[in-house]
Amino acid sequence: MALLEIDELKVTFRTRHGPVTALDGVSLRVEAGETLGIVGESGCGKSITALSVMGLVPSPPGNIAGGAIRLAGEDLVNTSPRRLRRLRGSEIAMIFQEPMTSLNPVFTAGDQIAEAIMLHQNVSRAEALSRAVALLDRVGIPEARRRADDYPHQLSGGMRQRVMIAMAVSCQPKVLIADEPTTALDVTVQAQIFDLLNDLQRETGAAIMLITHDMGAIAEMADRVAVMYAGRVIEEGRADDILDLPKHPYTRGLIACIPNVGKGEGGEPPPLAEIPGVVPPLHLLGAGCAFRERCGSAFERCAAERPRLLGPAAHPAACHAVEEGRP
Amino acid sequence: MSALLEAKGLTVRFPMPKRNPFAKRDWLEAVRGVDFALAEGRTLGIVGESGSGKTTAAMAAIRLTGPATGEVRFRGEDLLALGPEEMRLRRRDLQVIFQDPYSSLNPRDRVSHIVREPLDLLGVGDDASRDARVEELFSLVGLRRDQLPLFPHQFSGGQRQRISIARALATNPKLIVCDEPVSALDVAIQAQILNLLVRLQGEFGLSYLFISHDLGVIRQICQDVAVMYLGRIVEQAPRAALFSRPLHPYTQALLAAAPSLARRKSAGYQRPAKLKGDPPSPINPPPGCAFAERCPKAQAKCREERPTLAPDGDSLVACWFPG
Repeated sequence: MALLEIDELKVTFRTRHGPVTALDGVSLRVEAGETLGIVGESGCGKSITALSVMGLVPSPPGNIAGGAIRLAGEDLVNTSPRRLRRLRGSEIAMIFQEPMTSLNPVFTAGDQIAEAIMLHQNVSRAEALSRAVALLDRVGIPEARRRADDYPHQLSGGMRQRVMIAMAVSCQPKVLIADEPTTALDVTVQAQIFDLLNDLQRETGAAIMLITHDMGAIAEMADRVAVMYAGRVIEEGRADDILDLPKHPYTRGLIACIPNVGKGEGGEPPPLAEIPGVVPPLHLLGAGCAFRERCGSAFERCAAERPRLLGPAAHPAACHAVEEGRP
Repeated sequence: MSALLEAKGLTVRFPMPKRNPFAKRDWLEAVRGVDFALAEGRTLGIVGESGSGKTTAAMAAIRLTGPATGEVRFRGEDLLALGPEEMRLRRRDLQVIFQDPYSSLNPRDRVSHIVREPLDLLGVGDDASRDARVEELFSLVGLRRDQLPLFPHQFSGGQRQRISIARALATNPKLIVCDEPVSALDVAIQAQILNLLVRLQGEFGLSYLFISHDLGVIRQICQDVAVMYLGRIVEQAPRAALFSRPLHPYTQALLAAAPSLARRKSAGYQRPAKLKGDPPSPINPPPGCAFAERCPKAQAKCREERPTLAPDGDSLVACWFPG
């Protein structure tokens, strides 16, 4: 049994265009000490997957229509809000994308971390505050004691994200969900945050679910990868297998279209490979494969039948062309 | 080699609010004595982190922010010395593609009018030829004729950026300033737009001043690269030299920090050059090298004396201990 298991999760949203299926049978698992990268374009459902695990899907309009999420065997979908509040923060924690909007502007950094500690552990305020300072120090904030008294607006973007991380790891969660933790940050600061998350994982053995659109981040951070497209997992496997031997035409396209600092030194780089077109709106998906309009390998079967995730258990892909061994 | 656009000692400073009416005014020097030259038909990339002054430098060069001091020569003519009407007419040759395709198109305007507006304002051609030009531009950037009467909100981010590109191309400019044109887009769409920019450059002999924080994108599209840090260029080099032999420790750190498919967790990858901290404040910058506080190689000299750009092989680098 994996530490975190998501089983055939289905999430629907009520929209102007009628009900839309944002997640359509997503199954994932994360083991302790492992980093699972979830990669895909905007609107593919990667953030909704994270919010579902946290029990934070806005409802209405959202609704978990089926499937299960289990943390160490305990069901999270049908549990009481009270139990979920217990687990959130102490067993599963989340680092959000925008450190500017996810910190409370009227409380100091130290207060916000101490609040999380006091909610889940039976300690005094003074003890919680001193732990908060230790955490700030651990995540690499210089002069942590003084910085604990700063309000979010007094901190730089990188420091705010460190405060978020300090808050998330304050109760040693078993699962840490990081939703594009570095998109708002500069590259040198992004590198610091990646190194920090990797170090923290080595120390605590936490499972990390890293949500990103950046294959470079996947290479540096992930042990295993799930590629999502239009609400489904379309390929899954070890990071090396996905990056070196991608099967699904979408995954192959995603990797080929990245301008890379390391691809063949010097010289004029060849034109980038393109994935033509755009992700179709979820309410217009229809019956077949959601990627077929953009896919060079599409054939008749792709329009008629939605491909299922098939193939070896260690590296399955959802593609008719791959299944039939077509080029 | 005669340059299309050449900046010398370009400086932009903004007044800071005074603490009280009698206090001395503080100035934020966003760009401090920047020199660069962009040759016809080529792309010069300016790369740096937020606050490095890369956007301000490029926008000041075409007088979209100011007041700038120094000298900016466009085909030999000093743009900073032009009168308002002369400068307005010169904008035919100088166009911009902005970063955010959601806020740079007027939401109440039909896209055909958005693309046509530069032609109207600068009095290019007659009515019929302008409409024909708009249709031609639409097909150039890969949009369809039946999309002409639509509004911006009916397009995706990538399509909106195509509209921005069509608008920038409308007056047949010589130079286009591209201010992070792909950083708001998904990677798959980013590749489409970058390839489009390269194709258009080949077709029309355009020159791009290309601003980005992403070294991968810069490497894909720029023949020459300037790296900025805290308002100054710290290294400037042709693409091949910069990526194969970065000389400034900051350039090295940027390259080490850029995510790459070759750096695998599975192979136990450890970053060699780790940068600590954030860039210092551009108000009252340190006297020596601005990068000294974060630099792994900094010595006493770096904190006291500011290095200037000096040639080293094909590159120019501002560092006391390059390499």
